[in-house]
Amino acid sequence: MDNFQFEVREMTKAYNGKKVLDISHLTIKKGRIYGMMGPNGAGKTTLLYILSLLLLPTSGKIYFEGVDTCKVNQYSLRQKMTLILQNPLLFNTTVESNIAYGLRVRGVEEEEQKKRVKECLKLVGLDSFEKRRTKDLSGGEIQRVAIARALALNPMVLLLDEPTANVDRGSVALLEKILKELNQRFKITVILATHDINQAYRISDEVIYLFEGKIARSPLENLYRGRVTKDKDIFLFDTGKIQVSILPERDEVNHISIPPEDIIVSIKPISTSARNSFSGKIFHVSDGGNSIRLGVDVGEKLWVKVTKKSFQEMRLNLGSQVYLTFKSSSVEAY
Amino acid sequence: MEYILEGIRQAVRLIFSLDREIFSIVLLSLKISTISIFLSSLAGVPVGFIIGTNEFRGKKLLVTIFNTLMAFPTVVVGLLVYSFISRQGPLGPLGLLFTPQAMVIGQFILATPIIVALTISATQGIDPRVKLTAMTLGASPLRTATTILSEARFALMAAVIAGFGRVIAEVGCAMMVGGNIRGYTRTMTTAIALETSKGEFGFGLSLGLILLAVAFSVNILLHWLQLRES
Repeated sequence: MDNFQFEVREMTKAYNGKKVLDISHLTIKKGRIYGMMGPNGAGKTTLLYILSLLLLPTSGKIYFEGVDTCKVNQYSLRQKMTLILQNPLLFNTTVESNIAYGLRVRGVEEEEQKKRVKECLKLVGLDSFEKRRTKDLSGGEIQRVAIARALALNPMVLLLDEPTANVDRGSVALLEKILKELNQRFKITVILATHDINQAYRISDEVIYLFEGKIARSPLENLYRGRVTKDKDIFLFDTGKIQVSILPERDEVNHISIPPEDIIVSIKPISTSARNSFSGKIFHVSDGGNSIRLGVDVGEKLWVKVTKKSFQEMRLNLGSQVYLTFKSSSVEAY
Repeated sequence: MEYILEGIRQAVRLIFSLDREIFSIVLLSLKISTISIFLSSLAGVPVGFIIGTNEFRGKKLLVTIFNTLMAFPTVVVGLLVYSFISRQGPLGPLGLLFTPQAMVIGQFILATPIIVALTISATQGIDPRVKLTAMTLGASPLRTATTILSEARFALMAAVIAGFGRVIAEVGCAMMVGGNIRGYTRTMTTAIALETSKGEFGFGLSLGLILLAVAFSVNILLHWLQLRES
């Protein structure tokens, strides 16, 4: 329990009766970097706001270091963390006054404030920007001042909402470097929402994947949009190109995903209890470390994994005709 | 024409000779209006802030009411205050009629709706990220509120100045509840009205010029603030 920075239990958030988040259980361990991925509208920002105690969940519990956040003064907890908004806002004063804001709020002495401001500006590469008016800064500079302002607080948790969405490559690299360094030096817990799968894997220890408000099995592969049709007792999900038999757990399904490791690859059709079997040609082969990653075109492009050994034994290659088989129960429906 | 020119000559003479009577009237006007605006701001800014930054049922109606009250006819306010503080009125025993305090009450009622309405629009126009940012940086609820007000500072100053502009120039209410008592409740506007009707055209004109100068300065200040904001 004490190792958890956050624990989320049976939490939902709804706007006007429409659920945007529905998380049964999520734990964030102390001192780790988390990448939060998911398409637009998946609920990343809402989840960050709830963890930052800016928004209250509709139901469920959020624990911060084991403390039920509903039962304590939220603003004193809020002082232990900070969130950098996706499109950060600087107060219409000077750079120095912005960075010192959180320190003033915490009653830090003026001397110390000045020192921290200087340090943090140096960290983000904006030395001697103290007296600049914020309205004269460029977009990239605003972003950096916002980061400096967050770092000045020495937070235990740093949450960032797509911090690199609107900045140049140089700033991205700088930010990633700073985050890594802070995490290693001060054991800060970092939660970073991002669109960029490469960034997520590059800097995070763990990736949380959000999809339509739910925590999904990490990065969804073989994700398709479509609709469900019912044929007798069988539910078929029609992507427009192929029909996949599924076992839906809820009424409305708009997306399915098929985990690549649950798909069996064979050269001949096999007879099993699995309801889904497709045939197609291999159009992509790549080395995935311990396994080989194959792309097979069965109408839709499906990604599968096979071990190196089976790959060699089956003599697979680009253009080979294969059969893909998987159970209805392996298909995840959203 | 000669009559007007003579009036202007006399007015300029009075102003530049620093006539004691004139300047005591000007000072009293400024004093009463400044006190009224101070009190109006104290009440109006928080009320406007609360209405502007919260969503609740009946908000639109409330905003409309304050917008309408901005154009409250000054004599009606005078009538209202008079009815309360005149001898037979509910506040009669306090003996407020024809005192500077009565004038402050009247001006307070005139200025507060202006300050409330303009504070509402000032705080509504503030980026919602200001509140979020203050919260993410650990500000208490009170600190968050003052941060929002501080971000709206130019628009708030404009609200206060607009309120001042209204009360310094109004005559109806000041006349009815102040009574234009010399050296006690005689302000620029009441003196102008009275002295001119007595035939003291030059005297009235000199006060008129000063009042105009005050109104101009206030509006130039307002304009300058709005320029700075954009």
